[in-house]
Amino acid sequence: MLKIEGISAAYHSIPVLKDVSIHVPKGKVVSIIGANGSGKSTLLKAISGLIKINQGRIQYQDQDITAIPAHRIVGLGISLVPEGRQLFAHLSVQDNIRLGAYHYFKKSNRAEIEQSVKQAYQIFPILEKRSKQIAGTLSGGEQQMLAIARALMGRPELLLLDEPSMGIAPLIVREIFNVIVNLNQAGTTILLVEQNAKAALKVAHHSYVLESGNIVLEGIAAELLHNPKVKEVYLGG
Amino acid sequence: METISFTSQLFQYLITGLTVGSVYAMVAVGFNIIYNVTEIINFAQGEFVMLGGLIMVFFHVGMALPLVLAFPATVILVTLVGILLDRLAISPIRQPSVLTLIIATIAASILIKGIAMFIWGKDPFDLPAFSGRNPITVMGAVIQPQYFWVIGFLIVVVIALSIFFDRTIIGKAMSACADNADAAKLVGINVKQMILLSFALSAAIGAVAGVTMTPISLMEYDRGAMLAVKGFGAAILGGLGSFPGAILGGLIMGAIESFGAGLVSSGYKDAFALIVLLAVLFFKPSGILGDIEISKIKRF
Repeated sequence: MLKIEGISAAYHSIPVLKDVSIHVPKGKVVSIIGANGSGKSTLLKAISGLIKINQGRIQYQDQDITAIPAHRIVGLGISLVPEGRQLFAHLSVQDNIRLGAYHYFKKSNRAEIEQSVKQAYQIFPILEKRSKQIAGTLSGGEQQMLAIARALMGRPELLLLDEPSMGIAPLIVREIFNVIVNLNQAGTTILLVEQNAKAALKVAHHSYVLESGNIVLEGIAAELLHNPKVKEVYLGG
Repeated sequence: METISFTSQLFQYLITGLTVGSVYAMVAVGFNIIYNVTEIINFAQGEFVMLGGLIMVFFHVGMALPLVLAFPATVILVTLVGILLDRLAISPIRQPSVLTLIIATIAASILIKGIAMFIWGKDPFDLPAFSGRNPITVMGAVIQPQYFWVIGFLIVVVIALSIFFDRTIIGKAMSACADNADAAKLVGINVKQMILLSFALSAAIGAVAGVTMTPISLMEYDRGAMLAVKGFGAAILGGLGSFPGAILGGLIMGAIESFGAGLVSSGYKDAFALIVLLAVLFFKPSGILGDIEISKIKRF
């Protein structure tokens, strides 16, 4: 579904991604694990068009999306839940969710959008209780849920998640990972970037290990979970 | 000749102040719209007001178009100038920092002023008042009917904008750009288009201010800079980015100016408002209605 072929990207002329190739098959959960600064977030930003890449190409469902600007990527069915949530902090929870549907928002499909909002609230019931609250005042876990809900409003076929467990209580992390599994079972393809390697490997089918901009390892997630090198570096021995 | 009582004199100052203040408020609202989407202070904001006045003179006096045609035509033309400003000066800048963009708006304002001088010369122009110049006397104060037009249009602008930003998805999308431009792109908002729209909107509001104020205070090519300073002051006074703040700031600014000119000396008219502005910046830098927490993360 998504094929990344040999992309390189730099941040202020410091190379961040070096000749990275990744394949995300339809219907699967693929995870990328790696330490801070390994280039994971940059990779997701490159896919969603927020940063330009220097080399290589990104192909999505037989279409070259390398040069497509960020605001048109979501319309193709790719939504990113960015690192650090990136909510519209001064708008209400409800407005954040509605804006997720911006790219197909019309008067004529109001009913359809309300339906999607309802679905989002079904996935994260706490957000319905908070719907009138200003997004910036939510707790970390709730903000993450809102960020995912907003991305889902874009009706993605491919959902990119950047560090959904960051700074969140373990109980909520489990809830969010359950949601990820459920979404996948309902047919959404998922590319998950995580520092929490254990959680990421458990939900993924296939996994890549990114180290200072290079893919150093890849394989079936369940096998990587028992790979001695991965164990040592990412799972705490 | 009968003497005017002190109270009616104060009332007179207040009415005049609120009228002038309405113009400042409209300029301040224009600043805020662009600031909220881009973090840019558009120093050409005063030029929109000047163009509004002078283009209206051209349509209404020069071409003798009736008011109901000349007014919208003027607003449309100034809006086009706003769009051109974005397309020619703001949008083409490759790696925009807020500071470079602000400098671009200063350059644009000088250019617009120069072109206006070229077209209209240096003399001030008058515009007939919308509903005559027979003053109404209320509580001993003499009120020009045009005052009501100015204040009335401020109210219209405020209501229209609050509906736009609170009720429409485009308005929400504009606020979203201000909050987080990258996240806005991720949900499919074309940020460049929203910036364009913010320039168009604030140019239109500037034009309304210019058209309504010209019958009271005339208009000439170099009026923009001072209006921009006062409007900017009003925006800061109320809290940069806050619409209720802009209106409050504008009205306070106008009132102080009017009372200061009337009670102390009209020579220091411009100074009073700026002194108050400085005082606010010393004691509450986020402005009257500004959020202190938000002002900490702002770059300006």
